[in-house]
Amino acid sequence: MEGTKRKRSLTLPQNKSGLFRLIAAVVVFALLFWRVGAVATVSQFGADTWLRLAVSGLILGGMYALIAIGYTLVYGILFMINFAHGEVMMIGAFGGYFVFEAFNAIPVTSADGTTLSLLNSYPILAVFLAFLVGMSIAALAGFLLEKIAYRPLRGAPRLVPLISAIGASIFLQNAGQLLFGPQRREYINPDLLTRGTGWEIPIGESSVMLTYTGVFSLVLSAILMIGLFVLVQRTKLGKAMRAVAQDKSTAALMGVDVDKVISQTFVISGLLAGAAGVMWGIHNQLINYFTGFLPGIKAFTAAVLGGIGNIPGAMIGGLFLGIVESVGPAALGIDFQLKDVIAFSILILVLIFRPSGILGEALAEEKV
Amino acid sequence: MKTSLQNSVRNGVVFGVVIVFLALIGFLVIAASLLQKMVGNPVGLTSMPSAASLLVFLGFLHLWNGWRVSHNKEDIDTNVPLKTRILRGLTAGVTTGLFLLVYALVVGTINERGVDMRVYLSMLSSQSIDFFLFNQSPLVGGLIQFGFSAAAAVVGAVLAKFADSGKDKVKSIQKAAVAWSDKSWLGKVKTNPYVSYVLIGVVLLLLVLVPRQWGAYWNYIMGTVGIYVLLGLGLNIIVGLSGQLVLGYVAFFAIGAYSFALVTAPDPHNLQFNFWIALVIAVLVSALSGVLIGLPILRLRGDYLAIVTLGFGEIIRILLKSDWLKDFTLGPRGLRNIAGPTLFGREFIGDIDFMYLIILAVLLALFIARRVQDSTVGRAWLAISQDETVAQATGVDTYKYKLLALAIGAAFAGLGGALFASRNQFTGPEDHVLMVSINVLCLVIVGGMGSIPGVVLGAFALKGLPEILRELESYRLLVFGALLVVMMILRPEGLWPAKRPNLEVKQPPPEPETDTRPAAIGGGS
Amino acid sequence: MSKKVLLFVFIVLAMVMASCSPKAAGSGVPAVCEEDSIGCAKIPAGSTIKLGMGAPLTGDYASFGVDISQGATIAIMDAEPIGDFNFELVAQDTGGSGEGGAAVANKLVTDETVVAIPGHIFSGSTEAAMPIYEKAGLPMLSPSATNPPLTQQGTSVFNRIAFTDAVQGQFAADYLYNKLGFTKIAVMHDGGAYGQGLADVVREEFTKLGGEVVAYEAITPGEVDYTATLSAIAANNPQAIYFGGYVAEGVVLANQMDQSGLADAVFFGCDGTFGSEFIEKTGASGEGAYAASVIPPESQAKIDFDAQYLKEFGVEAGSLSPYTWSGYDAAAALIAQVRAVAVLGDDGNLYVPRGALVQAVRNISGFQSITGDITCNEIGECNTAGPTFYIVENGEWVEAK
Repeated sequence: MEGTKRKRSLTLPQNKSGLFRLIAAVVVFALLFWRVGAVATVSQFGADTWLRLAVSGLILGGMYALIAIGYTLVYGILFMINFAHGEVMMIGAFGGYFVFEAFNAIPVTSADGTTLSLLNSYPILAVFLAFLVGMSIAALAGFLLEKIAYRPLRGAPRLVPLISAIGASIFLQNAGQLLFGPQRREYINPDLLTRGTGWEIPIGESSVMLTYTGVFSLVLSAILMIGLFVLVQRTKLGKAMRAVAQDKSTAALMGVDVDKVISQTFVISGLLAGAAGVMWGIHNQLINYFTGFLPGIKAFTAAVLGGIGNIPGAMIGGLFLGIVESVGPAALGIDFQLKDVIAFSILILVLIFRPSGILGEALAEEKV
Repeated sequence: MKTSLQNSVRNGVVFGVVIVFLALIGFLVIAASLLQKMVGNPVGLTSMPSAASLLVFLGFLHLWNGWRVSHNKEDIDTNVPLKTRILRGLTAGVTTGLFLLVYALVVGTINERGVDMRVYLSMLSSQSIDFFLFNQSPLVGGLIQFGFSAAAAVVGAVLAKFADSGKDKVKSIQKAAVAWSDKSWLGKVKTNPYVSYVLIGVVLLLLVLVPRQWGAYWNYIMGTVGIYVLLGLGLNIIVGLSGQLVLGYVAFFAIGAYSFALVTAPDPHNLQFNFWIALVIAVLVSALSGVLIGLPILRLRGDYLAIVTLGFGEIIRILLKSDWLKDFTLGPRGLRNIAGPTLFGREFIGDIDFMYLIILAVLLALFIARRVQDSTVGRAWLAISQDETVAQATGVDTYKYKLLALAIGAAFAGLGGALFASRNQFTGPEDHVLMVSINVLCLVIVGGMGSIPGVVLGAFALKGLPEILRELESYRLLVFGALLVVMMILRPEGLWPAKRPNLEVKQPPPEPETDTRPAAIGGGS
Repeated sequence: MSKKVLLFVFIVLAMVMASCSPKAAGSGVPAVCEEDSIGCAKIPAGSTIKLGMGAPLTGDYASFGVDISQGATIAIMDAEPIGDFNFELVAQDTGGSGEGGAAVANKLVTDETVVAIPGHIFSGSTEAAMPIYEKAGLPMLSPSATNPPLTQQGTSVFNRIAFTDAVQGQFAADYLYNKLGFTKIAVMHDGGAYGQGLADVVREEFTKLGGEVVAYEAITPGEVDYTATLSAIAANNPQAIYFGGYVAEGVVLANQMDQSGLADAVFFGCDGTFGSEFIEKTGASGEGAYAASVIPPESQAKIDFDAQYLKEFGVEAGSLSPYTWSGYDAAAALIAQVRAVAVLGDDGNLYVPRGALVQAVRNISGFQSITGDITCNEIGECNTAGPTFYIVENGEWVEAK
């Protein structure tokens, strides 16, 4: 961080433009607030609508955050955009899907004579196994991806692994289509997690529903993110990862097995993507081979928004992006079709005024 | 010995997994039918290809399996005894065979029970399973596969022995031939300065003659390749020369196509400008948009710039199809009846005319790209791409030059977009999706970043290859993705790497073992 | 350097050589070919009569392309051969884009044995392909390109059995206002040409009838969480939501209405949201939803088709897209026309007069098919009948009264 500051003060124009940017920032954000204020005063939306929008954004943001961490981890260590990360999530989603299908296919007759599917007899076991399988398959996919498509390219020009990642992404997407067919598949949830049901919170005359699946995925992503944070900050592996992110050759001299750490990073990011995939299925019902693509792009955006390479940044970026997507159009009085335009515009604004994201880069220092 | 057998087992596992995967996605069926088609015996609509063609296809894979393990890196010399080779081949073949046997037993048994597996695995029809089992019972079919795998791998291993012993001989003959030709005629030709002019003349002549010959389909495909050469040259200036990673290049393509379409199409604005005026407008509008987009964002570096430009590409696409701008752009329906070129009252809208137009545009773009690259501006870009901070410290106005690169790159894209819209007489938001940016970036890097001939080669590879793969139907993008990965692993520096003028302080020549890859371009280290 | 250039020249030369195959002149050509306005397609003995289709077989709309081409494949299987000549379907991938559509069209016209096109699938790809088929004289009969201007460009080759947004939208608005008595509705679409066209017509007609469109929003196709958009619409308290788009997004919308404060509103879809998949994936939240369709509920032809489709492809007909029956019909209708005009030559080859075939397709009248009788008018609209509206009751689509 110090290094960048010193370089910035080297030349005069930078300072002048810094002042200019500050003024521009004040003007732009003043305009934004003015617009939001103007819309809010004439808006027909009541408190219940705003709360619904916020809840929807928060749940979506939680999943973005989980996927974004995968991007950030890999980027922090290899300085490469793992374009196929969204596909890893898709693979995880399919892993969980097959567990649920298997559980749903087996009928169990309980003591009082009622016949339930195994899914509803042991819902917690089913959900646990779905996550276990989904996460392990995704982790395996991440591991193989690194081994096959990225490891041979270590040391190649920086954009080469990106192209390899794009190729892998195209391959995995089409393999998904050919293996599982082009149709969308439905996650059959246990009754415990029926979609579209939840706690009703009365607001004024109407009430806002907090869906069970939504709360479940939000809580689970929070737990996973805390777990990851502890892993990176407190464990030996985390220390090694940070060391590799800082400087590979020095880390190697200190006795860190760099290749192994990179592999493990891919496994961890695969685990998180797999969890996000299963959650995606449980909360959003439908999955197919294309499931990973859009969330992948969004999560990557979130990772950059928060400051790529920065784990808390990815979390904040994800939540922020989710909320901007759902609340933004309503707050600015714009068509919902343009929600991505708003999201990307906010990204651009943030980056213009904070060129390394909301929280800045942290896992490693400066990179060019 | 032990390690070499481990190596064989590992290789066998890889081949086993790959073949099972190919069977699961139904690729074996389509590969066999293609083989059958090649020998002039196409497969009927409902029937499966013959067992022989499956054996041929699998045979290739098994031979390769044996070939690969027959000699490995640990061997001190290539002269491995035949017995060892056979053992290695057998190990690999048996390992692969075991995978196939297990697969055959599992899938075959389920199939025999009458379960339709296509509910979960869409390509695994009962027919294709029978095809894999040669219409035998699971056990017999599996054993055939097993035996064939082992036998073919051994043959492959033995073949490799002969190939290895023949290799030196071939090499020496090759060397002698090259030496002879260098001495007698090729050397003279090489050093003769006129030869390159003659060659350029021949190429130009071919460019004139070929479009008349190969029909509308190839003109269309090569036209697309030509338009992607334009795009590639533009992006090459931005990414390859000035080192700025831009992922939203499609924005400029879209702006070019739409501004051309909007001023020539009868609907919705009925401006009906002349083709040439519209072309100039499209190029200027794109270049201007490059400047406008670049002004706020070019201070960002590396991947921040990448994601911001990706965002711009998406913003443009969403706006083009949005309800909000529907009266201006006709929304998702797109614009039709876009003008074709006219000259002295004659309309040039045939495929041959268009091919010529595209060739002219490409030649012009090649010329400009070449001149710009070799100019002061090009050297400034080179400095920026090597190290932006240092470039700035040495007095290069990095901001100005980056902006210039974006403007020129955008102008190329605008030209490409206008030609694209004019040729199809139609353009819509679906023509300007993120995949276009990704394709162009891929072609620049696959070709060799910063290299102009590389861009041309890359465009052929990226847009020509999927067309050649058309026979594979729904498998073509799968194969394409895999090829992209393989291409990067085999030639990370690109198909035709750039020869950079070495302007930096001379470094001691790198040692061949440690530095087989070129230094990072576009902001390495 | 020069070596590489030399190599390139050789490659180009080789390509030229390869592309100049000599054309053999035939004898025994029937007289109709001399008279035909375009000329004949000669199908040599031993080859097949090909129908070409441009369909998205990869990418995010692959399910449409795969499904419609599978529907057409069944029609090919059902077709009786003409003499020794079998029919064959050549499905080529367009990726759903205009560029891909033109590439496929250019590819298909180089094959002389391709005589007709049951496609393309999406309007953009059809738009780009049309002039190419026009030049080559290949008749098209699209099962699913619904963009209204397609038939208004004066081409002789383009026809479609999909009905246009304009017709359907008018009927839907009328039904919503007069039959169901709604006065406040919200209109949504998926941002595609088809959905937006429908939504625009419905909004316009509904307002004309005296109703009020309280919200008009588009969604991003391919996403699975539309709760934010729905919540914003809920604030306007519409009685119904009209949605123009496809079943994939329709399912998500219908499922998420409850949790977004739209529990009391009715979901009203279009022919894109009709089909078994909607019921399968909405369950209880789909009850009471409307959709439009041209498909007679359970004709024998449809039952037979569904059974064969399931047998051949292992999935239920209609679970990939709502257009599989149209895909069958388009191919079947074209095959019938080819059969009518084809002439067996004395030399054992089959001759298909292209000009006559283009005419025959435009003049199709009363062709019996799964989706009803096909009769083309003078601009190539072959399905001008109004849609029937259906409602989900107890997990079944039943005709709405």
